Amino acid sequence: MNPIAKRSSRRRTMVASGFVLLVLGGFVLRLVDIQVVHAAEHVEDAGSKMTTAETLWGNRGSIVDEHGVVLASSTMTYDVNIDPTLAKDLKITDADGTKHVRTWDEQASAIAEVLGMTPDSIKKIVADKQATEPESQWAQLTRGVTTAQYQALRNLEIPALDYDAVPARAYPNGAVAGNLIGFESSDGEALAGIERWQNDCLESKNGSVKYQFGADSGVRIPGSEKLTPAQDGGKVQLTIDSDLQWYMEQMIAEETQNQKAVTGTVTVVDVKTGAIRAAAQYPAMDPNDVLATDPAHRGSAVFGTTFEPGSTFKAITAASLLEEGVANPMTTVTAGDFERFANGAALGDSHSHPVQTYTLAGALIDSSNVALSHLGELLPDEKRWEWLKKFGITGGPVVGFPGEENGFMRPPSEWDPQTHYTTTFGQGFTATVPQVVSAYQTIANDGVRVPLSLVESCTAPDGTVTTPEKRDSERVISEKTAADMQLMLENVAFQSSVADQIRVPGYSIAAKTGTAQKTDSNGGYKAGVYFTSIVGFAPAEDPQYVVMITLDEPKRVTSSAATAPALQKAMTHVLQSYRIVPGRSEPETVLPMLK
Amino acid sequence: MSLANAAVVTAPRPSSAPERAPQRRLQAVPAAAPRRRPKVGYAIVAFGGAVAIAVAQMSLSVLTTQSSYELAQLNQDKRAATLQAQELRDEVAGLSSPQYLAANAAGLGMVIDGAPSFLRLSDGQIIGDGAAAGSASTVDAKGRGAVGNALLDKRPLTTDPEATIEGKKQETKAPVADAPKAELPPPVTEGLPSPTTR
Repeated sequence: MNPIAKRSSRRRTMVASGFVLLVLGGFVLRLVDIQVVHAAEHVEDAGSKMTTAETLWGNRGSIVDEHGVVLASSTMTYDVNIDPTLAKDLKITDADGTKHVRTWDEQASAIAEVLGMTPDSIKKIVADKQATEPESQWAQLTRGVTTAQYQALRNLEIPALDYDAVPARAYPNGAVAGNLIGFESSDGEALAGIERWQNDCLESKNGSVKYQFGADSGVRIPGSEKLTPAQDGGKVQLTIDSDLQWYMEQMIAEETQNQKAVTGTVTVVDVKTGAIRAAAQYPAMDPNDVLATDPAHRGSAVFGTTFEPGSTFKAITAASLLEEGVANPMTTVTAGDFERFANGAALGDSHSHPVQTYTLAGALIDSSNVALSHLGELLPDEKRWEWLKKFGITGGPVVGFPGEENGFMRPPSEWDPQTHYTTTFGQGFTATVPQVVSAYQTIANDGVRVPLSLVESCTAPDGTVTTPEKRDSERVISEKTAADMQLMLENVAFQSSVADQIRVPGYSIAAKTGTAQKTDSNGGYKAGVYFTSIVGFAPAEDPQYVVMITLDEPKRVTSSAATAPALQKAMTHVLQSYRIVPGRSEPETVLPMLK
Repeated sequence: MSLANAAVVTAPRPSSAPERAPQRRLQAVPAAAPRRRPKVGYAIVAFGGAVAIAVAQMSLSVLTTQSSYELAQLNQDKRAATLQAQELRDEVAGLSSPQYLAANAAGLGMVIDGAPSFLRLSDGQIIGDGAAAGSASTVDAKGRGAVGNALLDKRPLTTDPEATIEGKKQETKAPVADAPKAELPPPVTEGLPSPTTR
């Protein structure tokens, strides 16, 4: 320092620097206060007031049919909530300065018009909430509002309303395959059908993005985003053909009503691959409006019904006899229309006829219970029981559909005298529709049983396709037996009492009717009501499709003849849909019914 | 020894000494070299550099945050477009369902015929009946429609405005709970590339 500097100027300098240091010290103190002492508070403030998180919705996978037609897709619905404390008259100042009041009544009417509710119900919801919880700021108006309604409500600019986005499902084809597709609860939990069965493939995970935002709403501070991406679900492809499914649902609805039956089903299966092309029922469920359907009809009647199959299983008895080598299509048996057997059993045919000598083919054509009972004696009980099991009876669920039933059959040691005979013509044990169809698929496929399937594949969002595991195909009967069975069943379709009703012009089909008695719960059978069914496959020269129709308790015609018009329509439409060229229209060999 | 003596004792110098003896003449300090003004250029450069850095930093930060305003606007537009797309999807949901198409076809008088005929192109042979379709359809898709679709929400058929897929005659008054008409999306202004479509 300049020694000559005056003391006064030195003092001034000291004072000035002292002052500067003081101010600096003040800043340092404040800095310490902010950064160290109150740090936690400030970080929390920044977190709550400056950062926010948004959900990135993952799309649940869609369900498509054989050709890619979308049967189920994801959509967004909204829950509408209202703040009771803000539900009052609003004072609004327009842009040009005029003030007016928008009353709560007006607002309620506007909301009601959009939502399809009455203004009184809206006011009641708010009033109830204000009465029970005066401090509450939340009351739910309604759930599941569509996007159009949500936009309309937002356009009303009512500050009391608040919205929650809730992902939901839309089913564009309505009741087509509705019972198969299933549905979700309003919380998004899959409850039935493919939605539940294939949930692992379909489900999605939501992501989130956390970011800091500026004072202007919606402006994100660049670089502050933390993103967890959403994961979409995979696409499930079914074997169902939705156009065929629609036709079958419409047709069986009309036929069930025509025949005054309780329920009806149609099942169409591809013989060579076991793919289920249609599984229709009446009454059907529209998953868009689950509550409109009776809970009894919300599952699948095709997979969930067990019944005594009846005469359709005469063909399986015949196949067992042929395969065991103890009979051939010309084996004869003499039978009347009612018989009391030595072991005490008594049974009769569904129609009266004189005592006559049937061939095995004839026993099937005429569907004679007595004849089959006699023929069944050619094999011991154990063998017949084994053959029924080989054809799938009590073999467990065929496809694995949720709620799919099995059937029930007692072991042969427990067969009473009546059951000893009734098992030859399909009574005394129960089966499901897929089990019966599968047995006929085996015969139609030249003796090789291909497991039925409903789900084709699951395609993950990254493109990987997984096909479900299937059991192996297995040979159940020899090709010769299968050929003989196909010929006999073709003759049944050609010569039986329903032949005229089921004839498909230009084609030769094979079919067998089944009229089964239904159990009353006391060990006997109900009188006068039957569970009728008919199974057919076509074309007879190279079977491609198996079709099974069931009608429960038809009243206009109580026997399985009630199912005949339905089979004719179903089979015609299947052959037409799949462009199967007409071939011969009669069996190559017309087998004699009687000897 | 005193300085005086030293001065006397000093050896006599040669005669050229007087030229080498320092001239002890007090002189005023010669005029100091004028204090040069510091070059203005350096100051300007230094100061300007600092200002330039500050300005550059501010404008860069404005530019980066400017894009976030644009982003916010675009996000808003995207959300509006998504909502409109969802609305439109809801409006047309169900229109391509088989029951609606079949009922409309029946409204035009089309039938699902029983027996098809095939035309074999290789030799022009007609396989099958060859007869024209009759007037009876194997199913009555319009009169006895039994496969419902709640998404169609009692929408009238396009070929017969008085009927719906449920087969009942609709009342002449249009239903109230129709979805409000969806507005067209805002026109895309400069900046957004449009996808090329075939």
